[in-house]
Amino acid sequence: MLAKIREFIKDETKCERIDLPENTKMRVQDFDLWYDDTQALKSVDMDVEEYKVTAIIGPSGCGKSTLIRSLNRMNDTIPSVRTEGKVWLDGYNVYDEVTDCVDIRRKVGMVFQKPNPFPFSIEDNVFYGCEVNGMDMDKEKKVKKCLKDAALWEEVNDRLDENALSLSGGQQQRLCIARALATEPEVILMDEPCSALDPIATAKIEDLIDELKNHYTVVIVTHNMQQAARVSDYTAYMYLGELIEFGDTTQIFENPQENSTEKYITGRFG
Amino acid sequence: MSLRKVLALWIFIISISVAIYGFWNIYSISEVEYWTMVASLFLISSACYASGIHHHIISKGQKGLPMLVYGTLLLSVAAFSMYLPTPIDLRPWDIYVRIPNRFFFSLFMLLSGLFGAYLSFRPYYDYKKEGAQVGAYYIFHLTLLFTLLPLFLVIFNIITRGIGGITWEFLTKDIVRMGEEGGVFPAILGTLAMVSLTAVIVLPLGVGTAIYLSEYAKKGLAVRVIRTAVNILQGTPSIVHGLFGYAFFVLFLFDGRKCLLAGSLTLAILTLPIVTRSAEEALNAVPSELRDASLALGATKWETIKNVVLPPSLPGILTGTVLGLGRAAGETAPIMFTAVYFSGAGTPSSLFRPIQALPYHLLSLYRLIGYRDVEQQAWATALLLLLIVLGINFTAIIVREKYRQRF
Ligand SMILES: Nc1ncnc2c1ncn2[C@@H]1O[C@H](COP(=O)(O)OP(=O)(O)OP(=O)(O)O)[C@@H](O)[C@H]1O
Ligand SMILES: [Mg+2]
Repeated sequence: MLAKIREFIKDETKCERIDLPENTKMRVQDFDLWYDDTQALKSVDMDVEEYKVTAIIGPSGCGKSTLIRSLNRMNDTIPSVRTEGKVWLDGYNVYDEVTDCVDIRRKVGMVFQKPNPFPFSIEDNVFYGCEVNGMDMDKEKKVKKCLKDAALWEEVNDRLDENALSLSGGQQQRLCIARALATEPEVILMDEPCSALDPIATAKIEDLIDELKNHYTVVIVTHNMQQAARVSDYTAYMYLGELIEFGDTTQIFENPQENSTEKYITGRFG
Repeated sequence: MSLRKVLALWIFIISISVAIYGFWNIYSISEVEYWTMVASLFLISSACYASGIHHHIISKGQKGLPMLVYGTLLLSVAAFSMYLPTPIDLRPWDIYVRIPNRFFFSLFMLLSGLFGAYLSFRPYYDYKKEGAQVGAYYIFHLTLLFTLLPLFLVIFNIITRGIGGITWEFLTKDIVRMGEEGGVFPAILGTLAMVSLTAVIVLPLGVGTAIYLSEYAKKGLAVRVIRTAVNILQGTPSIVHGLFGYAFFVLFLFDGRKCLLAGSLTLAILTLPIVTRSAEEALNAVPSELRDASLALGATKWETIKNVVLPPSLPGILTGTVLGLGRAAGETAPIMFTAVYFSGAGTPSSLFRPIQALPYHLLSLYRLIGYRDVEQQAWATALLLLLIVLGINFTAIIVREKYRQRF
C-alpha cells in the first residue's frame, strides 16, 4: 500500500541517469560528506564491480564507515550530515531528489559491525525485510533459503521460533546476513562484519562472502589486512577522508603505488 | 575482649539506641524524652572519650582522634541544646517562623547516632580498614530500615484501623447521610471510571509526544523547550492543575458544571508528564542499532518505530502510565473543583455528570469527624484507597517484570 503511494508520488523515470560501463554496479563520483562542519569524505571516486568483493581499508577514523554508509544512504539518519556529489547504482543517481531511500536500501543491503538481530524469533528476523517491503511469498521456504545461503540453516533449523538473541555472536552475525539476503538485494555492504567475532566464526563468514559473490556484489570494510587480501578482488585504501589508492587487491598488496598505502599495509603506519 | 572492644561495643549500642530514639520522637518529643536524649549524648561522648583516649595513650597511635573529635562535638551540642529556647522564635527579628528546636534535635540524634555507630566499628576491628568497611555496610542497611519503617508504619496503621469497617455493605451500598451510613460504592466506581478515562486520554497523548521527542524531533532547541515544559508541568502543584481544570474545562467547556470528563481531563494533564517521560526513556532505551537494522532493510521510519522500537518499549511505557495513574487515583485537589460533588452524586452514569471519588469522600468524611460518627468509615475509605493505589502500582511491577526485554 505504502509502496504504491510512493510510486505514485515519485516519478522514477525522472531520476538522473548515466550509462555505467558494463560490470560496474556502483560508482561513487566526486563525493563529499560533512558532519556539521567537519568534512569526513573528500571528493571520493570509486567503482564497485558487479559480482566481485571490494574491500575498504584504512586507519581508524579515516571515513570507511562513512563511505560505506553513503552507498545506501544510511547517513540520512544522522541529522548533521550534508553531502555533495553523486553515487550511481545501475546508472541511477542514488542521491537524486526523486530517488527513494527505501528502494535503495532494499537493493543495497547492509550488515553492521555489531550483530544487531531484532529481539524477535529467528524466522521473524529473516522475514522482516520481506514483510515491510510487502514481498508476498512463502515464509517457510524463504526463511529456509536465506538461512541456507547464510550457512546458518544446519545450526538453527530445529529452533526457528526461538529468540534470535539466544544465538551466539557469530550465529547472530550470520543471521543478520541472512536477514539482509531476504530482501533480495543486489549489493551487500558489510561494515567490519567480523570485528566482534572469534577466528572460527570469522572463517565461516569469510567462506560465506566467497559464496555470496557468485550472486551478489559485496563491499566490505575491514581492519584486518589478511582478511582484505583473502576475500576481496578490489581494495580501496582510505586516509583522512580521502581515497588514496584503489585497485586490484593483489596489486594494492604487492605493489602499492602510494607511499602511505605501503606504510599502512606493511604495518609501519603512524 | 580488650577494653577497646568493650568500649566500641558500648558506643555502638548507645548510638543505635539514640538513633532509634531520635527517629521515634522526630515529630513529638516530651520533656522527659528530651532530657533522656541529652543524657545519652553525654553518655556517648564520654564513651568516645574513653575509647579515644585509651587508644591514644595505650597504643600511642593517632587513630583515636576521630573519636575524640566526635565526642567533643556531641558534648558541645548536648550542652548547647540545653540553653536553646523551645521553640526557637524568630519573630523578634520580623521573621514569622517558630522552629521547634527539638525536631532538629531529634534529627541530629538520628544522624549522630548512626555516625557514632559507624565510628565504633573502627576500634572494634582494631582500626583496620575492614572496620570502616563493615561499619559502612551495616550503617547503610540501617538507613534503609529507617526509610522503610515509616512506610510500613503508615500501611500497618491504616490496615489495622480500617479493616474493621470493610464490610460487604460498605463496598456495595450507596453513600447515605454523607457517609455516616451506607457504603462507598459510588466513590469506588467513580474513582475507577475516572482513572480509566484518564488512561484512555493520556496514553495516546503521552506516547505520541514521547515518540515525537525521541524519534522525529531534531535534537535542538525545540526539543529542549518541550522537555522543559514537560518538567515544569510535572513540578506544578496539583492544586494548580485543579484550578486550571476548573477555569478551563468546567467554566469554559462545560458551562460551569463539574463532570467526570472534566476531572479526567484534568488528571490527564497531571499525569501527562509522567507518562511522556517514562515513555521517552523507554523509547531511548531501544538501541539505535536496531533502528539502523530496520532502516537498512528498506523499512520506512514509521514501520521501524511500529515494528522495532515500540514493542520492546511497551512494558516501560505501560509501567510509567500505570504509575502515573496510581498517582492520579489518590489525588484530591485536581478533582475537587472539576469532577466531584459534596456527596451523594450517585454511581457514575454519564461523562457529563459529576461523580463521587474515594479521595474526596475521605476528605469530606474527615471534615465530619467530631460532628458525626464517621471515623471508622474514614479509616476504611483510606484503606480502600490505599489498596487501589497499591494494586495499580503492583500491576505496574508485574507488567514490567513479565515483559522485560533484553537486547
Ligand atoms: N555521527 C557522527 N557525527 C560526527 N562526526 C562523525 C560521526 N560519525 C563519524 N564521524 C567522524 O567522521 C570521521 C570518519 O568516521 P568513520 O566512522 O567513517 O571512520 P572509520 O574509518 O569507520 O573508523 P573505524 O575504523 O574506527 O570504524 C571520524 O573523524 C569521525 O569522528
Ligand atoms: Mg567504522
